[in-house]
Amino acid sequence: MPTYIYAITAADHPLRLDGLSGVGEPAADLRTVKTRDLGAVVSDTPADLRAKRRDLVAHQSVLERLMADGAALPMRFGLVGPDDEQVRAALDQGKDSYTARLAELDGRLEYNLKVSREEESLLREILTQSAEARRLSEYTRENPGAQNEKMALGELVSQEIQARQEAMAKDVAQTLASAAERVSEGEPTKTHFLNVSFLVRRDEAAAFSQAVHEEAERRGEDYAFSLNGPLPPYSFV
Amino acid sequence: MSLVQQSNASNSSGGGSGNLYDVLELILDRGLVIDAFIRVSLVGIEILKIDVRVVVASVDTYLRFAEACNRLDLESGRKAPAQLTDIVGDTMESGAKGKSKGALTGAVEAFTDSFQSGRDDSDDDKEKEKRPARKTSASSSSRRTAQRREE
Repeated sequence: MPTYIYAITAADHPLRLDGLSGVGEPAADLRTVKTRDLGAVVSDTPADLRAKRRDLVAHQSVLERLMADGAALPMRFGLVGPDDEQVRAALDQGKDSYTARLAELDGRLEYNLKVSREEESLLREILTQSAEARRLSEYTRENPGAQNEKMALGELVSQEIQARQEAMAKDVAQTLASAAERVSEGEPTKTHFLNVSFLVRRDEAAAFSQAVHEEAERRGEDYAFSLNGPLPPYSFV
Repeated sequence: MSLVQQSNASNSSGGGSGNLYDVLELILDRGLVIDAFIRVSLVGIEILKIDVRVVVASVDTYLRFAEACNRLDLESGRKAPAQLTDIVGDTMESGAKGKSKGALTGAVEAFTDSFQSGRDDSDDDKEKEKRPARKTSASSSSRRTAQRREE
């Protein structure tokens, strides 16, 4: 039966899995696969596994538990090996690389930050600062049929939004980077101009969180900061 | 200032949906893979990998921005542009707090946040006109596209 893999840890990780269960319905039992140097948390793979909510929660819960007790390399959701024996073989084969990454991540946590800004406040800023946008906006308001000018206004505003969002994203990420060890930029979303993960030392987590609070305060109420963490270091493996 | 901090540790057993949603992309798209192994099919999952740049540079978006600018102009009357920000501040603070501010926020969300679109249907906010509806269909079709790509 195929083996679903949750995480790779060092051999001396306690792998405390009591009370947790794996993916699937009914939930699969968790077990461990060990080599001399490494361990992996695995379970059977349910035949019809999909990324359902309860499966994602199960995956995430295992990783959070492991994270609490030591370094663990979180696997991407849905990774399946042919059987336990081949998982063991993969651990042996990748031993050096896995061991090095576990050492890098020991005592470190991921925090994901998403920042959005109210569109209206950004549009106001653009209208205030761009004479051309102002001119086109006034013109098209008084001449609602002026399609060319409307498109020109929309294009100008859209370019301004993009440039300003990129600048804001860079600025916020750079400000916070000094409070973290590593930074991993994700794709912006439709809503959030910044989507970024930080790798933070466990003993510096409070200071990092404080830095995010201060940045949110500095930016003001037009911005919405959403900070998630501590998380398994998905973005840094 | 607006900051929402989610601590996962307290949430993992119950699994708050907002929280899971926020980290979905990390669970699905990041994390370690072993090259020789396979990943289960993710059919049925909406991975919202829309290229934001493409969405922004579309005729629909241009028109929407143009109309939004026109509306802002109207709201602020003929006052000098430099004072725009102050006027907004005043309006939002002095307006009947719950209702008008809520309506304003709701409209903004309808523009910017496709995930919220379903909830706005019950709002009888005349100013929104047909905009949220159009937005909804546009975003859900692009989501379907994204989903198809995953399949």
